[in-house]
Formats: sequence, structure tokens, C-alpha cells
Amino acid sequence: MVGRRFSLGFILSLAVTFSSWTGLHPAQASCGAVSCFVVIGSQQQVPQAGLLTANAMYNFTPMRLLGGTNGVIPGLDQANRQMILDHHQETRTITQQTTLDLNYGVTDRFGLQLTLPYMWRTHKHIDGIGEDGANGEGGPSNFAANGIGDIRAGLKYNVLPTLRSMVVLGFGVYLPTGNTHAHDSAGSLMESPTQLGRGQVGLNPTIYQTYELIPHRLNQFSSASYRHTFRNNDGYQFGDEYMLNAGLNLVATPWLTLTGQVNYRYLVHDNFSSSLSRSATPTDATFPDEPQVIDPTIKNRSVPTTGSTYHAFSPGFQVNLGQMIESSWTNMTSFYFFAQIPFARDSNNSLAQGTSYIFGLTRSFQMLNPS
Amino acid sequence: MRSRNTNARLVAIMLLIALVGLSAFDVWSMGSRVPAVGMQAEDFSLIDLEGKAQSLSQYRGKIVLVNFWATWCKPCTTEMPAMQASFDKLHDKGFVVIAVNELEDDARVRAHIKQYGHTFPVLMDRDNKVANQFGVFGLPVSVFVDEKGIVQEYIKGGLLTEQKIQAIVDRLQAQAIVNAVSLK
Repeated sequence: MVGRRFSLGFILSLAVTFSSWTGLHPAQASCGAVSCFVVIGSQQQVPQAGLLTANAMYNFTPMRLLGGTNGVIPGLDQANRQMILDHHQETRTITQQTTLDLNYGVTDRFGLQLTLPYMWRTHKHIDGIGEDGANGEGGPSNFAANGIGDIRAGLKYNVLPTLRSMVVLGFGVYLPTGNTHAHDSAGSLMESPTQLGRGQVGLNPTIYQTYELIPHRLNQFSSASYRHTFRNNDGYQFGDEYMLNAGLNLVATPWLTLTGQVNYRYLVHDNFSSSLSRSATPTDATFPDEPQVIDPTIKNRSVPTTGSTYHAFSPGFQVNLGQMIESSWTNMTSFYFFAQIPFARDSNNSLAQGTSYIFGLTRSFQMLNPS
Repeated sequence: MRSRNTNARLVAIMLLIALVGLSAFDVWSMGSRVPAVGMQAEDFSLIDLEGKAQSLSQYRGKIVLVNFWATWCKPCTTEMPAMQASFDKLHDKGFVVIAVNELEDDARVRAHIKQYGHTFPVLMDRDNKVANQFGVFGLPVSVFVDEKGIVQEYIKGGLLTEQKIQAIVDRLQAQAIVNAVSLK
């Protein structure tokens, strides 16, 4: 009875969350772009030997300004290696991503993973503050791009395999397959943080742990990952990324699993190899005007409004279709939905990730006989 | 300051959730390696559904099929009728089935066994110890142990059929005869 009440409450909260999505206020925010992240079990685990698990997922990640911030950030000009302080004002970024994630168990302990993202990104900001417009107010600039993102290839090893537990160590490499040279509506090269790809290889060690607290009823999981991206040919280096996730899965019925997880992401400041300028201000001799050079030396500089801290709670559910309907189409197949709801954010006056949504389909294929 | 407090709280929550899992690990009760064919099967003793202790060694002199299973595991329950049929047919010819249930409560297992009319012994591996001992981390797993207690087959996941069981038992019995003759 208690379990049923909990299940109903959980579904109700999801419904409320979902309805709040459809009624989203017009977004008001930013540059720099992230995608939401949750732990989806089948992505983190090592499948049994000979089993291929395919995950097809879609996520919607809006970014907007937080209350009390104005979104004024530096303009980054990769072509001229120039960082211009207070040159842009962020409005909004929306990233939609479909991902095909393939996991294959080479042995019961050792697995291979390939993650293929395809992205759609739209971004709005005010460009040319202090430079354009009659009063130096700048002008609107839009950006829209779609294409493959950075593909990730990884290896995983289950160091603690038992029926109740799993500890998986992983190591992935992000390949610079995403476009880094898309242009905005004014025909200018879009800034690196908003491009679909990072333009350089990234290293991504991970650890995932799960334990069945009540066998086949309640399990606990946690994961941690680190991502380091090297400096790209445009002189831009994305800041290191640290992620921690922890949560519980409750098997409410044989076909329905409810999930709640807490997610944490810390992004270090990005770094740009550039000269340093600032936008003209009304106190300058001429205004509006060209940016004023502060330091013409091209050297590695932190991008002040990058780096962020993000905390979220992600309720979700997974429906095991094979348990609901017996057929070859539904065997070893499930779908899932998560809402990622931020509860504490610090985005350094830039755009912050808002409530995001992920849904997907997982299906496993036995490629080789496990015996 | 506020952000730092929030960070600390969040990290504390995450550590707590992770530690709940770790503390329950029966710590470092890491699964053993899968026993290699030709190795002596490690003995174990578990309680059956009647509350009596049964060990692997008490069946020495017989061919034993140790099957690791659970009621929620569909491939497990699919292969059980073949195990029952083989048990019925070969029980008098020195063949035994031991079904080792993993991590389920007695009532559920008893109901399942009653519903399907299984008569072979069902042992309850409540703390997952025997599964770890036999390197089992996916279900079902079937281990054939010969008369001398030597592991002769280790079958993961693949469905057992009556024919397959019969073929393995025939092979092991023939091998036993050859060994006995060669010793003379």
C-alpha cells in the first residue's frame, strides 16, 4: 500500500514537472552550451559477454540567465585571437541532442562503448556592446547549427561483479568530430563554446557503482566522471568538467522502475589564448567605438564568465516493455524518461542550464551465445 | 558562501547514498573467478525450503547439476521444466539437480516451486555467498559436477534442454566408466 502510494506520488510529481515544461516561460538567456546528464544504468554498466545494448535517447536542454545576473560576457574572436570584455549579452541557448549509445560486452567484465551524438543548437545574444548601435547597445545576433557532436569511444571494466553489485571503471576518449566553424546570422565565426564540437581530443575517466539494497526491488548507484579537453586549434580550451551522481532505483512493478538521482557538475573556467580588450564605455573619449586594447600579448587567459556549478534532482522512470507485452519486438526493450530539475546553480553571470528532459529507448541484442 | 554550503550539502548527500551501498557490500565480498572445468568444485552448505541444511558434498558419487536461478529471471524459469524432466528421468541413475535460488524470500520461491510442481531440492542462497563462490553475476548459470566433485561444465545464460542435459550426463557417466576401467 505504501509502495503504491509512493508510486502514485512519484508519477504525479513527474506529471506536474512535465506540465510545467509545456508551459515554459519564454527563455531569456545565453552563450556557452551544455547538455543535461543523468545516469541511465544501461549506459554505465558492462553488458554480459556477447550482448549489445543500444540506447537511443533525446535530450532537451535550455539555458537562460539566472535572476540577478545580466548576462554580459566577453566576446571571443577566434579568428583574431581576441577576447573583448563586456562585449556580448547572453539571451538564450537551446540544445537538443539525439544520441546513439552502443555498449558491447566483449567478456562479462570488459566492455566497449561508442557514443554518437547529433545536435541541434540555437543561440541568441546581443553582440557589439559599446561598439554597435546609436548608444552602444549592440545588436541582436542569432546562431543555429545542427550536426554530429564529438563522438566518444570508451572501454569499461567491471572490477566487482556479483549478482548484487557492480563497480565499473571506464575510460573514454572524445574525438573532435563536431563542427567548430559554424557562423552566426551576421556571418561571423561563432564563438568556440557555442559550436557543436570542441575541436580537440578529450579524456574522460569514469567510475560507476551500483548495489542492490533489496534484491530486485531497490538498488543504489553512484557515479563520478572527469573530462579534460585539450586546447583546440583556435586557441580555446574548455575547462575541466567534474560530475558526481548518486541515486536510487525502485522496482515498483516488474515493468516499472522509478528513479531519483542527485546530479552535480562543476566546470572549471575555460581558457583562451588571446589578446585582451574591453568594450568602449560612455566614459571613454568616443562612444560607441572600437574595443580598447588592454594587453595586445597573445597568451593563455581564463574566460571570466565561464565555469559553473550545477546541482539538480532528476526524477524519472523506466518501463520494461518486455515485462508488459510478450513479443519479439518488446523483448529486452525498455523506454525511460527523466526530468533534470536544478536546485542550485552558479553560472558566473552567463547562461545556466534550466530544467531539462531526457527520454530514450534501450534494447539489447544477444550477438553471441554467452556459453 | 551559500554556494559553498550547498556544495557541501550535496556532496554529503551523494557520499551518504554511495556509503549506504558500500557498507552493504558485505564489504569486498568480491565474486570469485568462474571455476575452471577440471577443478574441484568448492563445497557449500545451504538451507532448503524445508529448513534443512544440504551440502554439495553430500551428493558425492552422483552427477550434480547446480543451477543458479531466481523467479524473476525469465530464462531461468524457462529452462526449469527441462531440469525437472531430466531429474524425473535420471534421478535413479545417479543424477541430481540442486536449484540454488538467489536473494529471494522463501514464500515467493515456495509459491513458484509449488505452482510448477518442481520436486528437486531448492536451496536458498540468501546472502549471495555461493553465487560469489561460483563466480555467478548473471542468471541463470548451470554447473555440472561429476561423481568426484569435479566441475565438468559451466553454462552461462544458455537455455538447458532435456536433450542437452541428457547428453552431458551420458558423457560424464561414460567418462566415469572409462576412468574406472583404466584404474583396474
